[in-house]
Amino acid sequence: MSDTFSWWGILSTVGVLTGLGIIFGALLGVVSERFKREDNPLVEQIDALLPQTQCGQCGYPGCRPYAEAINQGDALNKCPPGGEATIHALADLLGREAEPLDGDAQSEAKVAFIREEECIGCTKCIQACPVDAIIGAAKLMHTVIEDECTGCDLCLDPCPVDCIDMLPRSAPLTQWQPIVTPSPELIVSDRQPAPGGLHAERL
Amino acid sequence: MPSAYDFPGGIYPPERKQRSSQATLIEAPLPSWVTLPLQQHSGQPATPCVARGDSVKVGSVIANREGMISSNLHASISGTVTEVTTAQITIEGDGLDEWFRLPSLDWRSAGRQELLERLNESGIVGLGGAGFPSHIKARVVERHAIDTLVINAAECEPYITADDLTLRHYPGEVIEGAQIIAKLCDAQHIVIGIEDNKPEAIEALQQALADSQPVPVELTVIPTRYPSGGERQLIKKLLDLNVPSGGLPADVGVLCHNPGTLLAIRHAVRDGQPLVSRIVTLTGEAIAQPGNRWVRLGTSVMELLEEAGVNHSALNQVIQGGPMMGKSLLTLDTPVTKLTNCLIAATLDELPPPPAEAPCIRCGECENVCPVALLPQQLHWYARAQDDTKLERYHLFDCIECGACSYVCPSHIPLVVDYREAKSRIRLQRIEATKAEHAKHRFEFRQARLAREEAEKQARKQARQAQQRRPSNTVTPSTSSDKVDLRGLRIAHAAAKASVKKAEKTLARVAQEDPKQSLDDLEMQLATAQENLKAAELQLAQAREEQSSEESP
Repeated sequence: MSDTFSWWGILSTVGVLTGLGIIFGALLGVVSERFKREDNPLVEQIDALLPQTQCGQCGYPGCRPYAEAINQGDALNKCPPGGEATIHALADLLGREAEPLDGDAQSEAKVAFIREEECIGCTKCIQACPVDAIIGAAKLMHTVIEDECTGCDLCLDPCPVDCIDMLPRSAPLTQWQPIVTPSPELIVSDRQPAPGGLHAERL
Repeated sequence: MPSAYDFPGGIYPPERKQRSSQATLIEAPLPSWVTLPLQQHSGQPATPCVARGDSVKVGSVIANREGMISSNLHASISGTVTEVTTAQITIEGDGLDEWFRLPSLDWRSAGRQELLERLNESGIVGLGGAGFPSHIKARVVERHAIDTLVINAAECEPYITADDLTLRHYPGEVIEGAQIIAKLCDAQHIVIGIEDNKPEAIEALQQALADSQPVPVELTVIPTRYPSGGERQLIKKLLDLNVPSGGLPADVGVLCHNPGTLLAIRHAVRDGQPLVSRIVTLTGEAIAQPGNRWVRLGTSVMELLEEAGVNHSALNQVIQGGPMMGKSLLTLDTPVTKLTNCLIAATLDELPPPPAEAPCIRCGECENVCPVALLPQQLHWYARAQDDTKLERYHLFDCIECGACSYVCPSHIPLVVDYREAKSRIRLQRIEATKAEHAKHRFEFRQARLAREEAEKQARKQARQAQQRRPSNTVTPSTSSDKVDLRGLRIAHAAAKASVKKAEKTLARVAQEDPKQSLDDLEMQLATAQENLKAAELQLAQAREEQSSEESP
């Protein structure tokens, strides 16, 4: 029994393990210092999932600040333009519980439209636009570049004459539209060819 | 003849080609009016260059190509333009059929540029179905070396006989068209792939092959099986080459053309005749005189069917294209376009509507027939669940939408409809994602600009204060109540400099790799980095000044 118990054995084990700990600790320290990243990669990933409307409805000035706040532990459900899909994507990414959306979901994509005859050229909306999508100059008519507008509606409040409307974004005919499925009250045996000849449900 | 290799899967649907292939090729009567859509090709629609009331001849350009991938459009009858909208141009015919032709070109002596320009001017697009502009396709040689030109005469879909009749009547012209393309692309071989159900076309080709030069032409007869006319499938079958996923045949040194396109190319070059008509198969049980017709583009489908003796009481649906991949027309008040290769006026008994869909029983029949070796049952599952990551993992975008899986499905699931829908949905999502990315860059640019403006304002303010201070020469208390963080500013300045360099490098690299790509977004990123650098520089200069003024008194 006494052969197996020796102080030397215990001390050498402790010494070796301590030494290994010090070496690996130093290695990790050097590596983390050498390959340090200024930005947080997780914030980038969260930012990529946000819709980038920069609307500020979450209470932060833009999508990136909200991404940083989420990373600090803020709730996931403050983005109405992103809707449920964004909440689920964020919950998947961060391994957190998906919560119901705080606020009203947007039914469709919208863009701002300036009623040009009513515009007085105050440039207030230009200053409010987070993506520089409004062009115009002082005392001259302004207009919105439709392709660049994110539909954030930040230009609505500053307008002193209320000449800005939020209109549905025009979709080109060639763009995909969801197929309208037959209404649920239709049962299988109802699916006969239409009297006109063309069976429309195939299209 | 090299041994034929094989692609997986495939089906043998009833061919039903006899009705249209037995009649001879005739000219359809000249239409009294035509409607020409501005988009009859892939890419951007053309821009009209005529106005209401202009008189045009057959072959006059009525709409110019717009952007990189687009094609010219020509009047297909002589007469007066009666309507120009954003979608189409209508021409009322004068019945004179006066032509406007370009001068004839001898392709053997003509230069490359001259030939490309002729294809461009003549509005030639791929007549097989996709409608890709031929002059752009011919320019693929600028990036990939082309070894073999494949003439895709397989025409594997049931009913369609347009290519069969083209080859029977114009074998020499088609091969001459192939020689023109071979010259443009420096191809060393021409291979014709044709299914063995077209003996007359094969015989005609064999006779025409004898005096074809300079590039040797090889005729390979392959057994009839659907979908051997798919580009990738035919290349595998003829040359045993696998076109990579997401790639083009040009990646393996092959270019594929349809006989109809080659005939149109030959007409454009030798006769100076732009693409104003094409061969259309009119078939189906509801038509009294089926067959192939030379049809002017823009002819109303209704008039064409009336002329072929359509029986309205028996007619159930009109399919444009073949029964496997074609689409059922919602209205007959639609024109024949560059892409209309076949019109099937089907009766209810001939092509009955699919029975009601039943749940998938996972029999695996679809997997056996898939020519791309995909797993259609899994794709069906994920497409319905809208599981996009899984769809991409199961290579949804490699699906050629041939319809073999739907054809054999014992549960009658419209699988291809699901795949098309899923593809379109994912494409739209990608567009939305790039839009969001673009908005983000614009937002960042604005932030950087505001920061730069703020820094400039501060610098001006400080300069003013310094000027006021000097003449009075009074000792002002140090303004830097907040400690100037010189080191932090220096780091920020260096980081801004590095990001400008990085943005410049990325821009230069992308511009070199693909000069045609839009660089707007990258240019904006560079501008953002430059604005940030300016702001950092100003802040740094300001901080240094403050420090020196602190030290000097």
